[in-house]
Amino acid sequence: MAEESILTDEFLRQLIDVGEADVLVGVPTYNNAATVGQVVQTIRAGLLKYFPRERAVIVNADGGSRDETSNLVRGASINDLQHSTDLNALRTLHSISAEYAGGPATGTALRTILASAELLRVSACAVVSPESTTIEPEWIERLLRPVYQGNADFVTPLYRRHKFDGLLMSNLVYPMTRAFYGKRVREPYASEFSFSGPLAGHFLTQEIWVNEVGHTGTEIALTISAITGGFRMVQSFLGVKPRLDARSADLIDAMRQTVGALFWSLEPNFSLWSSKGDSQPVPTLGGEQEVTLEPLRVNRKRLLAMFRSGVAELEPVLKSILSAPTLAELQRIAALSEEEDFCYGDELWARTIYEFAASYHKAVISRDHIVQALAPLYRGRAFTFLVENRDASGEQVEQNIENFCLTCERLKPSLLELWNGKK
Amino acid sequence: MPMSQDQLWYKDAIIYQVHVRTFFDTNADGIGDFRGLAQKLDYLQELGVNAIWLMPFFPSPLRDDGYDIAEYRSVHSSYGNLDDFKGFLQAAHERGIRVIVELVLNHTSDQHPWFQESRKSKDNPKRDWYVWSDTDTKYQGVRIIFVDTELSNWAWDPVSKEYYWHRFFSHQPDLNYDNPAVREEMWNVMKFWVELGVDGFRLDAVPYLVEREGTSCENLPETHAVLKELRAKLDLHYPGKMLLAEANQWPADLRAYFGEGDEFHMAFHFPLMPRMFMGLKLEDRKPITEILKQTPQIPGSCQWCLFLRNHDELTLEMVTDVERDYMYDQYARDKHMRINVGIRRRLAPLLDNDRRRIELMNGLLLSLPGTPIIYYGDEIGMGDNIYLGDRNGVRTPMQWEGGWNGGFSSADPESLYSPLMLNPVYGFQAVNVQSQKRFDHSLLSWMKRIIKVRKSTPVFGRGSIEFLYPANHRILAYVRQLDKESILVVNNLSSTAQAVELDLRQFKGNILIEMFGRNIFPRVGELPYLLTLGPYQFYWFRLRKI
Repeated sequence: MAEESILTDEFLRQLIDVGEADVLVGVPTYNNAATVGQVVQTIRAGLLKYFPRERAVIVNADGGSRDETSNLVRGASINDLQHSTDLNALRTLHSISAEYAGGPATGTALRTILASAELLRVSACAVVSPESTTIEPEWIERLLRPVYQGNADFVTPLYRRHKFDGLLMSNLVYPMTRAFYGKRVREPYASEFSFSGPLAGHFLTQEIWVNEVGHTGTEIALTISAITGGFRMVQSFLGVKPRLDARSADLIDAMRQTVGALFWSLEPNFSLWSSKGDSQPVPTLGGEQEVTLEPLRVNRKRLLAMFRSGVAELEPVLKSILSAPTLAELQRIAALSEEEDFCYGDELWARTIYEFAASYHKAVISRDHIVQALAPLYRGRAFTFLVENRDASGEQVEQNIENFCLTCERLKPSLLELWNGKK
Repeated sequence: MPMSQDQLWYKDAIIYQVHVRTFFDTNADGIGDFRGLAQKLDYLQELGVNAIWLMPFFPSPLRDDGYDIAEYRSVHSSYGNLDDFKGFLQAAHERGIRVIVELVLNHTSDQHPWFQESRKSKDNPKRDWYVWSDTDTKYQGVRIIFVDTELSNWAWDPVSKEYYWHRFFSHQPDLNYDNPAVREEMWNVMKFWVELGVDGFRLDAVPYLVEREGTSCENLPETHAVLKELRAKLDLHYPGKMLLAEANQWPADLRAYFGEGDEFHMAFHFPLMPRMFMGLKLEDRKPITEILKQTPQIPGSCQWCLFLRNHDELTLEMVTDVERDYMYDQYARDKHMRINVGIRRRLAPLLDNDRRRIELMNGLLLSLPGTPIIYYGDEIGMGDNIYLGDRNGVRTPMQWEGGWNGGFSSADPESLYSPLMLNPVYGFQAVNVQSQKRFDHSLLSWMKRIIKVRKSTPVFGRGSIEFLYPANHRILAYVRQLDKESILVVNNLSSTAQAVELDLRQFKGNILIEMFGRNIFPRVGELPYLLTLGPYQFYWFRLRKI
């Protein structure tokens, strides 16, 4: 039986109308009417300003929105029936929207965008989040230009973030991706990134699409695929990243999408990461990662409470995952009565993650349970990070993150021992 | 072949633009002449054209290729004499070919006796035939047209010690149309040529006739009044004669030159031409449909004149800055290709000598609403010489054959008015009429066929246009309609094969008959009509309900 196409007939018909293109901006959506209109209008402005002569297209892969998302995307088209004269556009700009099969899934949306990029034979393709309301037209240039000019195959973003924004990224995903794969990609799980046509083709041939990471966690899987494939990478500073409401219920999903995908990637890429030494910087364009310092209310007490209850309630699970000394140390700090005394330090946290990674490899219990079990521990680490950096300057915060990264790299041999060991 | 007596003959015309100097030399002086042009009328008849636009052939110092006229009622001695012209005119009419002569109303040469008189003294009777001033500060802000050569619209006359007004070169003083004597004299000039039998006038540089302080001195109501006066006299005394306006303006400004059908019969659609080239390069119909949507309706007796190339540069005045930069980058990377605000190149080199693109552009020229003009030599794909000065690179001798001087003249090659094209691609040995006549698939033979198809129906010249907007923007599709006759035109502007679905429900039940091969295509139904087109391919379909 022939494999079912991921592109619907309706989508294919729209792609035929678009024809070969030079640059593509993909926007994965699901009920994003509140923000997507502003985002696609800014994308359009960016394309007109920075790529006025190129054949450009905006492709919206939608998970079945029941709101105005699709219409808002289509409204960004410029053609001889629908255009704004003040835009001074040389050529037609298609902004197409189609629903992909199977219900909302970021991975399917990204795969649809990748397939579109390959079918339209674009030179450069960017993906932009429909929720990035701080987007400026310049983002489009900063994402697409390095690829379009042939200077890079994969561009990841750098943002200006609050120092306590993206804690999972700074305390786990970035340091570990860097330690495993030897590339200092600051945003390996990015909602904005870009890639070349050949890399789109490479992505589409990867195994991720038949695995869970092909549905969730696809972004980090693509980053890792670009690294392991030896593609040229660049980081491009975009600007302010809007802070999304962080609900605790989202943490498990976030862990699955990032840590799950990261751990999963270690299996097929063992020969590569096991031989990687110190990490190498990735060229950056337009500035370095920036942090902002305005006051922010964070419920630290709750984090600590959830860590303590997690260590207690998940003891049987943690026993099967962690080494005895590590678990004992966690139980010791969980038992500390004074908040001020609590410290989930760099070395202990790095060792914890490595032991989780090795257990994931060995599948000592359900892999999903392993990922879930890391969540309360991460909360404890987050508590320590917040406390230690409460009064820190931007530079100090960055230095602390860098120190943790170096710790992860230094302790990486311990993962190799665990990987091949009995326990 | 008798000429049609229809007073709207210009709507069905296929006009061939030629300078007598460039076409054929019969007296071996290296310069084409009227006897030579008359000898080549059979060629033009065979090509299928039914009107000739003659560029200025009057006595002139030729500092602007004859647009600096020194005598309005005669023929430059290099091209023959008035009798030669009459002989040519009669021969053209005998072949059913009308003749349009070009008059420059706005200015004369500074060698014209009128100007020589005018500059003699401030109280000379001809003094106010031109625009004089004791200061060069009048009409401040009026744009300079030839920005490459002129710094001001005023020039100092050392003889009469005043400034004179000139919108073009400083050796071309503007006539003063506020003076009734000037208006009367120019009418007498027109009368002279109409009495000889010419069928119409292409009036050069008409927006600039009258000057007023505080204005752009272009398109002024007073200018339109002058033109309406000439038209009224022409209609009264010589019905059926045609006036064609050269006014390089935006469509909205051009509209006024048609008046209520009481000013010009035709006007060049300048903004469309660069956008046809732009649409082709962008592989996108948007520039073409947009400018045609902005084109206002014109009176029923009026007509647009369409052209791909002419004796001037491919003017880029009527485009935006973004579009101009794009056009320069795409069509004139070499600075030698640029002049003023435009590109001095012929059709074939502009299109990289790509036969498919040349055919497509001619297909557009002959199927969009208007009367098409073919620039001499473009029907065989002549090249240009961008290293000749001014716009002379697109005014080289017609290439008739591969022998001596390309068959243009028996004079010494060194004595020709212009060097012949010599390079291996566009030179006369590679591109000439004789060799192309021998092959059915030459560009010349193809041009004959498409002109014949165009002339097989009045729809193209007189019909309405309705654009279809298929989702595939590389496809430019429209329906031309006149009475009960409908023609569907589908053009692929892309260098690659394209599929397109056309909404033809309004023609449900019709069959499509391809007009070149007369083959039948499937009947139109409820569903979108699917067509596939090869690179730069176009179809003309007659819609028939049988």
